[in-house]
Amino acid sequence: MNEERIKVSKNLLSEGLGLVTAAGYINNEGGQAIADAATELMDQGCKTLLIDLEGTRIINSIGVSILLEILEKLMDEKGRLAFCNLTPTISKTFEIMGLVQYASVYTDREDAVKAIEGDATV
Amino acid sequence: MEVVLHLPVVPNVELVAAKAVETLGGALGMHQTHVEAASVAMVEACLNAMEHGGGPVTVRLHSGNHAEKPCLVIEVEDHGQGFDPATAPQNSPSRVLGCSSKRGWGLTLIRELMDDVQIRSEPGKTLVYMCKYVESSP
Repeated sequence: MNEERIKVSKNLLSEGLGLVTAAGYINNEGGQAIADAATELMDQGCKTLLIDLEGTRIINSIGVSILLEILEKLMDEKGRLAFCNLTPTISKTFEIMGLVQYASVYTDREDAVKAIEGDATV
Repeated sequence: MEVVLHLPVVPNVELVAAKAVETLGGALGMHQTHVEAASVAMVEACLNAMEHGGGPVTVRLHSGNHAEKPCLVIEVEDHGQGFDPATAPQNSPSRVLGCSSKRGWGLTLIRELMDDVQIRSEPGKTLVYMCKYVESSP
Protein backbone atom coordinates (compact mmCIF):
# COMPACT_ATOMS: atom_id res chain seq x y z
CA MET A 1 0.00 0.00 0.00
CA ASN A 2 2.67 2.47 0.99
CA GLU A 3 4.88 2.67 -2.04
CA GLU A 4 6.72 5.93 -1.60
CA ARG A 5 8.06 6.42 -5.09
CA ILE A 6 5.38 6.76 -7.71
CA LYS A 7 5.76 5.11 -11.11
CA VAL A 8 4.33 7.25 -13.91
CA SER A 9 4.20 6.47 -17.61
CA LYS A 10 2.49 8.12 -20.56
CA ASN A 11 1.19 6.98 -23.94
CA LEU A 12 -0.61 8.45 -26.89
CA LEU A 13 -3.65 6.16 -27.28
CA SER A 14 -5.17 7.79 -30.35
CA GLU A 15 -5.29 11.21 -31.94
CA GLY A 16 -5.94 13.70 -29.16
CA LEU A 17 -6.24 11.07 -26.42
CA GLY A 18 -3.38 10.61 -23.99
CA LEU A 19 -2.99 8.10 -21.19
CA VAL A 20 -1.08 8.65 -17.95
CA THR A 21 -0.66 5.68 -15.64
CA ALA A 22 0.41 6.25 -12.05
CA ALA A 23 1.09 3.68 -9.34
CA GLY A 24 2.25 4.77 -5.89
CA TYR A 25 1.78 7.57 -3.39
CA ILE A 26 0.24 10.71 -4.89
CA ASN A 27 1.79 13.43 -2.75
CA ASN A 28 3.39 16.65 -4.00
CA GLU A 29 6.09 14.73 -5.90
CA GLY A 30 3.66 12.13 -7.25
CA GLY A 31 1.16 14.80 -8.30
CA GLN A 32 3.92 16.77 -10.01
CA ALA A 33 5.16 13.68 -11.88
CA ILE A 34 1.61 13.14 -13.18
CA ALA A 35 1.33 16.84 -14.09
CA ASP A 36 4.62 16.71 -16.01
CA ALA A 37 3.43 13.69 -18.00
CA ALA A 38 0.07 15.39 -18.64
CA THR A 39 1.78 18.57 -19.86
CA GLU A 40 3.96 16.60 -22.28
CA LEU A 41 0.88 14.90 -23.73
CA MET A 42 -0.97 18.22 -24.00
CA ASP A 43 2.07 19.67 -25.80
CA GLN A 44 1.71 16.78 -28.27
CA GLY A 45 -1.86 17.87 -29.00
CA CYS A 46 -3.86 15.78 -26.51
CA LYS A 47 -7.04 17.51 -25.42
CA THR A 48 -8.38 14.48 -23.62
CA LEU A 49 -6.35 12.86 -20.88
CA LEU A 50 -7.12 9.60 -19.13
CA ILE A 51 -5.32 9.05 -15.82
CA ASP A 52 -5.24 5.38 -14.81
CA LEU A 53 -4.59 4.98 -11.08
CA GLU A 54 -4.43 1.21 -10.91
CA GLY A 55 -1.79 0.48 -8.27
CA THR A 56 -2.39 3.73 -6.40
CA ARG A 57 -3.98 3.20 -3.00
CA ILE A 58 -2.96 6.26 -1.02
CA ILE A 59 -3.04 9.95 -1.83
CA ASN A 60 -2.90 13.24 -0.01
CA SER A 61 -4.66 16.53 -0.55
CA ILE A 62 -1.52 18.25 -1.85
CA GLY A 63 -1.22 15.63 -4.59
CA VAL A 64 -4.91 15.93 -5.46
CA SER A 65 -4.62 19.74 -5.60
CA ILE A 66 -2.03 19.26 -8.37
CA LEU A 67 -4.53 17.06 -10.23
CA LEU A 68 -7.02 19.95 -9.90
CA GLU A 69 -4.46 22.17 -11.64
CA ILE A 70 -4.24 19.68 -14.53
CA LEU A 71 -8.05 19.78 -14.74
CA GLU A 72 -8.05 23.59 -14.88
CA LYS A 73 -5.40 23.62 -17.57
CA LEU A 74 -7.40 21.17 -19.68
CA MET A 75 -10.63 23.11 -19.14
CA ASP A 76 -8.86 26.28 -20.31
CA GLU A 77 -8.02 24.42 -23.54
CA LYS A 78 -11.60 23.11 -23.85
CA GLY A 79 -10.21 19.67 -23.11
CA ARG A 80 -11.38 16.84 -20.93
CA LEU A 81 -9.96 14.84 -18.01
CA ALA A 82 -10.95 11.30 -17.08
CA PHE A 83 -9.85 8.79 -14.45
CA CYS A 84 -10.11 5.04 -14.16
CA ASN A 85 -9.28 2.28 -11.68
CA LEU A 86 -9.94 4.39 -8.59
CA THR A 87 -10.25 2.76 -5.17
CA PRO A 88 -13.46 3.68 -3.31
CA THR A 89 -11.48 5.96 -0.96
CA ILE A 90 -9.70 7.77 -3.79
CA SER A 91 -13.03 8.12 -5.57
CA LYS A 92 -14.59 9.61 -2.42
CA THR A 93 -11.63 11.96 -1.93
CA PHE A 94 -12.00 13.20 -5.52
CA GLU A 95 -15.71 13.69 -4.89
CA ILE A 96 -15.07 15.71 -1.72
CA MET A 97 -12.47 17.87 -3.47
CA GLY A 98 -14.66 18.44 -6.53
CA LEU A 99 -12.65 16.59 -9.16
CA VAL A 100 -15.50 14.28 -10.16
CA GLN A 101 -17.80 17.23 -10.80
CA TYR A 102 -15.63 18.22 -13.75
CA ALA A 103 -13.84 15.00 -14.70
CA SER A 104 -15.23 11.65 -15.82
CA VAL A 105 -14.63 8.51 -13.80
CA TYR A 106 -14.65 5.03 -15.33
CA THR A 107 -14.32 1.60 -13.78
CA ASP A 108 -11.36 0.48 -15.87
CA ARG A 109 -9.27 1.50 -18.84
CA GLU A 110 -11.27 -0.46 -21.40
CA ASP A 111 -14.55 1.19 -20.35
CA ALA A 112 -12.89 4.59 -20.34
CA VAL A 113 -11.37 4.33 -23.81
CA LYS A 114 -14.60 2.92 -25.26
CA ALA A 115 -16.64 5.78 -23.77
CA ILE A 116 -14.18 8.53 -24.68
CA GLU A 117 -13.66 7.33 -28.27
CA GLY A 118 -17.41 6.77 -28.60
CA ASP A 119 -18.06 10.38 -27.59
CA ALA A 120 -15.47 11.60 -30.08
CA THR A 121 -17.26 9.94 -32.99
CA VAL A 122 -20.70 11.43 -32.16
CA MET B 1 -3.77 -3.35 21.36
CA GLU B 2 -1.99 -0.01 21.03
CA VAL B 3 0.63 1.53 18.75
CA VAL B 4 2.47 4.73 19.67
CA LEU B 5 4.71 6.48 17.15
CA HIS B 6 6.92 9.53 17.58
CA LEU B 7 7.40 10.90 14.10
CA PRO B 8 10.23 13.26 13.17
CA VAL B 9 9.52 15.83 10.47
CA VAL B 10 11.06 14.10 7.46
CA PRO B 11 9.61 13.59 3.97
CA ASN B 12 6.94 10.88 3.66
CA VAL B 13 7.08 9.94 7.37
CA GLU B 14 3.26 10.11 7.30
CA LEU B 15 3.38 6.81 5.40
CA VAL B 16 4.77 5.14 8.52
CA ALA B 17 1.61 6.18 10.36
CA ALA B 18 -0.54 5.04 7.42
CA LYS B 19 1.19 1.63 7.57
CA ALA B 20 0.28 1.40 11.26
CA VAL B 21 -3.37 2.08 10.36
CA GLU B 22 -3.21 -0.67 7.76
CA THR B 23 -1.71 -3.15 10.23
CA LEU B 24 -3.97 -2.38 13.19
CA GLY B 25 -7.09 -1.96 11.07
CA GLY B 26 -6.40 -5.33 9.45
CA ALA B 27 -5.92 -6.95 12.85
CA LEU B 28 -9.28 -5.53 13.98
CA GLY B 29 -10.96 -7.03 10.91
CA MET B 30 -11.79 -3.73 9.24
CA HIS B 31 -12.82 -3.77 5.60
CA GLN B 32 -9.98 -2.70 3.28
CA THR B 33 -11.98 0.34 2.11
CA HIS B 34 -12.35 1.56 5.71
CA VAL B 35 -8.66 0.98 6.35
CA GLU B 36 -7.78 3.04 3.28
CA ALA B 37 -10.13 5.86 4.34
CA ALA B 38 -8.57 5.92 7.80
CA SER B 39 -5.10 5.88 6.22
CA VAL B 40 -5.84 8.97 4.12
CA ALA B 41 -7.26 10.73 7.21
CA MET B 42 -4.13 9.77 9.15
CA VAL B 43 -1.88 11.12 6.38
CA GLU B 44 -3.79 14.43 6.37
CA ALA B 45 -3.67 14.75 10.17
CA CYS B 46 0.09 14.07 10.21
CA LEU B 47 0.75 16.57 7.39
CA ASN B 48 -1.29 19.24 9.21
CA ALA B 49 0.51 18.52 12.49
CA MET B 50 3.94 18.74 10.85
CA GLU B 51 3.08 21.86 8.86
CA HIS B 52 1.39 23.81 11.64
CA GLY B 53 3.02 22.18 14.67
CA GLY B 54 6.51 22.58 13.28
CA GLY B 55 8.04 19.74 15.30
CA PRO B 56 7.78 16.03 16.01
CA VAL B 57 4.32 14.49 15.98
CA THR B 58 3.01 11.82 18.33
CA VAL B 59 0.53 9.32 16.92
CA ARG B 60 -1.46 6.83 18.98
CA LEU B 61 -3.64 4.09 17.54
CA HIS B 62 -5.73 1.67 19.52
CA SER B 63 -8.97 -0.24 19.42
CA GLY B 64 -11.88 1.33 21.24
CA ASN B 65 -15.62 1.80 21.41
CA HIS B 66 -17.59 4.78 20.24
CA ALA B 67 -21.38 4.91 20.54
CA GLU B 68 -21.14 1.29 21.67
CA LYS B 69 -19.54 0.21 18.40
CA PRO B 70 -16.01 -1.18 18.11
CA CYS B 71 -13.70 1.22 16.32
CA LEU B 72 -10.14 2.09 15.45
CA VAL B 73 -9.11 5.19 17.40
CA ILE B 74 -6.40 7.48 16.04
CA GLU B 75 -4.93 10.41 17.96
CA VAL B 76 -2.45 12.83 16.39
CA GLU B 77 -0.74 15.34 18.67
CA ASP B 78 1.53 18.26 17.91
CA HIS B 79 3.01 21.04 19.98
CA GLY B 80 2.53 24.06 17.77
CA GLN B 81 0.75 27.32 18.56
CA GLY B 82 -2.70 25.77 18.18
CA PHE B 83 -5.77 27.03 16.36
CA ASP B 84 -9.49 27.49 16.86
CA PRO B 85 -11.20 24.42 15.29
CA ALA B 86 -14.48 26.36 15.06
CA THR B 87 -12.97 28.86 12.63
CA ALA B 88 -10.77 26.42 10.70
CA PRO B 89 -11.48 26.52 6.96
CA GLN B 90 -14.15 24.16 5.62
CA ASN B 91 -13.33 23.82 1.96
CA SER B 92 -15.73 23.22 -0.89
CA PRO B 93 -15.12 22.47 -4.57
CA SER B 94 -16.72 25.74 -5.69
CA ARG B 95 -14.03 27.64 -3.79
CA VAL B 96 -11.16 25.82 -5.37
CA LEU B 97 -11.38 25.84 -9.17
CA GLY B 98 -10.04 29.13 -10.49
CA CYS B 99 -8.48 29.91 -7.13
CA SER B 100 -4.69 30.24 -7.04
CA SER B 101 -4.37 28.28 -3.78
CA LYS B 102 -5.85 24.80 -3.74
CA ARG B 103 -4.55 23.88 -0.30
CA GLY B 104 -6.46 23.61 2.96
CA TRP B 105 -8.35 20.36 2.45
CA GLY B 106 -6.92 18.39 5.37
CA LEU B 107 -9.62 18.90 7.99
CA THR B 108 -12.42 18.63 5.43
CA LEU B 109 -11.13 15.25 4.28
CA ILE B 110 -10.59 14.02 7.85
CA ARG B 111 -14.17 14.93 8.81
CA GLU B 112 -15.63 13.31 5.70
CA LEU B 113 -13.60 10.10 5.80
CA MET B 114 -13.83 9.30 9.52
CA ASP B 115 -16.88 8.45 11.63
CA ASP B 116 -16.11 10.79 14.52
CA VAL B 117 -13.59 13.64 14.80
CA GLN B 118 -12.82 15.82 17.79
CA ILE B 119 -10.16 18.49 17.95
CA ARG B 120 -8.77 20.03 21.13
CA SER B 121 -6.30 22.81 20.60
CA GLU B 122 -4.52 25.30 22.83
CA PRO B 123 -1.14 27.03 22.57
CA GLY B 124 1.49 24.28 22.80
CA LYS B 125 -0.80 21.33 22.17
CA THR B 126 -3.23 20.26 19.49
CA LEU B 127 -4.86 16.85 19.62
CA VAL B 128 -6.88 15.48 16.72
CA TYR B 129 -8.97 12.51 17.87
CA MET B 130 -10.69 10.46 15.21
CA CYS B 131 -12.33 7.09 15.02
CA LYS B 132 -13.47 4.75 12.29
CA TYR B 133 -15.98 2.05 13.10
CA VAL B 134 -14.75 -1.46 12.43
CA GLU B 135 -18.01 -2.05 10.61
CA SER B 136 -19.29 1.05 8.89
CA SER B 137 -20.65 1.98 5.49
CA PRO B 138 -17.82 2.64 3.01
